[in-house]
Amino acid sequence: MATRLGNWIDERMGFRIVWDAIFLRKIPKVNWFYTLGSASLFVAMNQAITGILLTIYYVPTPDHAYDSVQFITTEIPAGWLIRGLHHWGASAMVVLVVLHMLRVIFYGAYKFPREITWMTGVILLILVIGFGFTGYLLPWDQKAYWATTVGTRIAGTPPLIGDTILRIVRGGADLSAVTLARFYGVHVWVLPASLILVLAFHLYLVIRNGISEMPKKGE
Amino acid sequence: MSEDNQVSRKNFMEVAIWSIGGIITLGMTIPAIAYLIGPAIKKVQEQVWIRLGSVLKVEIGVPTLFKVKVQQRTGWIVNEEEISVYVLTEDGRNYIAMSNICTHLGCRVRWIAEGNSFFCPCHNAIFDQEGGVVSGPPPEPLERYEVKVEDNQLYILGG
Repeated sequence: MATRLGNWIDERMGFRIVWDAIFLRKIPKVNWFYTLGSASLFVAMNQAITGILLTIYYVPTPDHAYDSVQFITTEIPAGWLIRGLHHWGASAMVVLVVLHMLRVIFYGAYKFPREITWMTGVILLILVIGFGFTGYLLPWDQKAYWATTVGTRIAGTPPLIGDTILRIVRGGADLSAVTLARFYGVHVWVLPASLILVLAFHLYLVIRNGISEMPKKGE
Repeated sequence: MSEDNQVSRKNFMEVAIWSIGGIITLGMTIPAIAYLIGPAIKKVQEQVWIRLGSVLKVEIGVPTLFKVKVQQRTGWIVNEEEISVYVLTEDGRNYIAMSNICTHLGCRVRWIAEGNSFFCPCHNAIFDQEGGVVSGPPPEPLERYEVKVEDNQLYILGG
């Protein structure tokens, strides 16, 4: 029955060829360090799901942000869990993505024909850091406020254009409701949309070129 | 052990991956559902006696409007909300207190003295002075509050 249903759908969608290309592709004999990319992907999916759930109660305005986060953590069933997963997942994300990058560097996996995979990976790293930076402000507590004060001030350090950059990032001269709203917008719309596009391309290239073999001694 | 009974490495991995994946999915889905429906299944606030005002304000035979502020907590916000209650007495001893919320779809009704009835502007519903449905779509009479009188002050039970 299940096979017949599967066949019926496959005749119309051709999903098996896609499934096999993704999950049954041939790979060289590799070690556990080669799972860091998949681990990053897994945590990214965790961030997406828990992030969407958090938006159900979170309100990005100075008079509600902190209270709504406290409400999620203390009064909504499993709210502490959803927020906790998102909070710790954020740190895990940065750690995993950096380790993934180090593995690629040490095994020389960025070389021909995988240069574009590497470059999209660099963009993904920047996006992940962007997620971390914008997400850090959203709880609107003392740590969030002052970390973003410092972080945006750093963005304002380049000569000549520094002040303009600072004003663009903050949406004005000061850290305000405008800053919180735009950090939220970037965190939940701009960055996720960009991430999906670049990540899809990154994964396409990984599958299209296959993963690199481990370098051998003397090569 | 025969060859057929042996679990191949591939089969073992397949079962392991689907099982772990299933556990993770369940571990995420169940808290997510609890999280989403949480506020809906939360116990309602405890009811308290709310003071409306002096019984002397109530005219005999005519529903009299009382407006009182009550503290309401919704989510993380506590604010004052005004509720309107019509109080009717025929003899100055027994009181009935009615909500001004139409039982059809929740619009607010008001007392029309000339028509001697409550009127709901949303779908032209008409209630009599005791809150019974005269015409229109409401399925039941206006809701009543429990009333008590203490030291000539009217109280209703609400929350």
